[in-house]
Amino acid sequence: MYRFLSAALVVLAAGCGAPQEAAEPSKPTYDDSRVGHFGYGKPASAEEIAGWDIDIRPDGLGLPQGSGSVEDGEWLYEAQCAECHGSFGEGVGRFPVLSGGKGSLTDPRPSKTVGSYWPYTSTLYDYIRRTMPFTQPESLTADETYAVTAYVLYLNDLVEDDFVLTHENLASVRLPNEGNFVPDPRPDVSNTRCMTDCRDPAAISVLSEVPTYVPASMTMEEIAEAEPAHPGAATYDQYCSICHDVGVAGAPRIGDAAAWSSRLERGMAALEMNAINGIASEAGVMPAKGGFAHLADDEVNAAVAYMVEGSQ
Amino acid sequence: MRQRQLDQIVKSVAESGDKLPREERRRFLRQGLSLAGATAAASFAGGALADSGNLPPNVPSWTRRLGPGVLTNPYGQPSPFESHVQRRTVDWLTADRIAAISFTPLGDLNGIITPSGVVFERYHAGAPAIDPNQHRLMIHGMVKRPIILTMDDLMRFPSVSMIRFLECPANGGMEWRGAQMDRLQFSHGMLACCEWTGVLLSTLLEEVGLEADASWILAEGADGAHMSRSIPMEKALDDALIVYAQNGEALRPEQGYPVRLLNPGWEGNTSIKWLRRLEVGDKPWHHREETSKYTDLMADGTAREFTFVQECNSVVTHPCPERPLKGKGKYFIEGLAWSGRGKIRHVDVSVDGGVTWREARFTSQVLPRALTRFGLEWDWDGSPALIQSRAVDETGYVQPTYGQLKAVRGTNSIYHKNAIHTWRLEPNGTVSNVQIS
Repeated sequence: MYRFLSAALVVLAAGCGAPQEAAEPSKPTYDDSRVGHFGYGKPASAEEIAGWDIDIRPDGLGLPQGSGSVEDGEWLYEAQCAECHGSFGEGVGRFPVLSGGKGSLTDPRPSKTVGSYWPYTSTLYDYIRRTMPFTQPESLTADETYAVTAYVLYLNDLVEDDFVLTHENLASVRLPNEGNFVPDPRPDVSNTRCMTDCRDPAAISVLSEVPTYVPASMTMEEIAEAEPAHPGAATYDQYCSICHDVGVAGAPRIGDAAAWSSRLERGMAALEMNAINGIASEAGVMPAKGGFAHLADDEVNAAVAYMVEGSQ
Repeated sequence: MRQRQLDQIVKSVAESGDKLPREERRRFLRQGLSLAGATAAASFAGGALADSGNLPPNVPSWTRRLGPGVLTNPYGQPSPFESHVQRRTVDWLTADRIAAISFTPLGDLNGIITPSGVVFERYHAGAPAIDPNQHRLMIHGMVKRPIILTMDDLMRFPSVSMIRFLECPANGGMEWRGAQMDRLQFSHGMLACCEWTGVLLSTLLEEVGLEADASWILAEGADGAHMSRSIPMEKALDDALIVYAQNGEALRPEQGYPVRLLNPGWEGNTSIKWLRRLEVGDKPWHHREETSKYTDLMADGTAREFTFVQECNSVVTHPCPERPLKGKGKYFIEGLAWSGRGKIRHVDVSVDGGVTWREARFTSQVLPRALTRFGLEWDWDGSPALIQSRAVDETGYVQPTYGQLKAVRGTNSIYHKNAIHTWRLEPNGTVSNVQIS
């Protein structure tokens, strides 16, 4: 039988301007007498579970039988991992760095690697098994995973070059930073709800700032103090952007350098003429002046210049 | 036959207000644009062509003709004029777009519900394309009845719907060392709030029957990352939800279609998408996304693990860089507040960098672990301002300043940055992101 933690209450806000608060859905509590109550689905067989149950725990629970050496791992790593992680685990581009970083955790820019930060070897095996190589997850065999794991440990100077990692010794390979993980102590920061004279206005200074973002929807006079606008920007924003922002009817999008460069092959004058008189081609259709007959030719030309300059 | 004639008439009427020259119009249509496309383009043209012609006392062009009929869009889309409302990403944040994140356009939204199409995305191996008929949810481990459920099985269980926020714990994490993101979408946009529908995890755990020492659950996705997190049993039996619907429709692929976990109020990373497996155990698994990542490095070199709760936070959404002010006058400062520990109790707003604060009023429902919208009337005299919001949740926790947060945690923790945010308003109405002393 269901027991309910509490009946949901409808609380009426009393004159503080808040709308009426809504009732919450009821929450039944776990009841052991209802095991199998619905009977939906089918029993999961041992074989079905084995196919999906890939997780490993720090105590080694879940490790498949097998082994792999640093030596075998080196070859596999070079073939499958180095492209993103670098031959020495140094990371390529923004892909994760795997090695180094020892003693850097208190630096202004810490390097959090397997050797410097990760608490457990099991995590390395588990992660490689479930998600690597990046473009072919779950494609390595158990032995290959042991070998690559062993090699990453070697890159972090945690094992010797003749080391062989197995399901029996993995849990005993301890990582140096294991002891530095602590439980969540929050709430750990407190503030008070001061309402007036909370601080000295003279003591307020800007410590860091980001250059002002000016939305495209602002008009010229609104950003007059920010920066002078391109003479074609206003016409573009009001008219041309309707098609050229997203590419309606084959319109070349502003910023699409390839689309504009092919149209510029016949020169700027030809481009302006098409904008003023309209054009219909395989690539797209544009009515004269985009359909805005009231625009002066100069306004159209300025907008064309704005789009071309913004698409290089 | 009759229907075709009618369609023809409707079409010609729709075109008659079009001021394109006849020759252009023919060419336009000859290009094989769909009727819908042509009509949309024509109404664009009509709208802007009119200039003053659509304003009083004139009768607007769209009022003088018929519009497209029903089923022009069998699944409707926002107006083309709203095409600027988009998820966006910051390319330097990640190595590629497969293991990456995009941001919710918070400044463009209203109320507390995030439309499904613009909810931020977070993938570790891209979004898998899953056939729901071939998707299975396996529940096993320390249970009495390990089972495999189809989506149909799952949907037979009693369902629950709740409005809850979902936030990546790295939201704002780029700003521990200083202001860095130029707009609201990037400073706070790893955040959304939806109505989620599904089965309480406690219902499923009751169905399989827990063994005596069962105390943790591993949730695992069917994406290429087999994304996994360890969830304490206390949360699993409280309000964790196995979700198959979002804002009234099936989950979007980006959000875990056909089924995901939702841990309300907790770091979004624990709410595993494309959920395929729940394993019950007696210890946490310490997987990569709860050791190497999603742990909070302190200044002394220790790291906090299993930092689940998203603490009380708030941000002003108007004004913001994307929504500057247009000259001095009366404005309604608006924003969002949320807390993983429950309901929002107060939100205060300052326009002088925190010297004086005024209590804002709630302009939405106040639900636990949901976005809550607040507002405050303000008469701007045109002088520079430092605009902030500060939320208090029902536990009495007051959102901290950057100084208070950094004094305890340093600047290397990446996750769980919930400091009071400052927008600098300039006399010209533009707004920029700053951090103040």
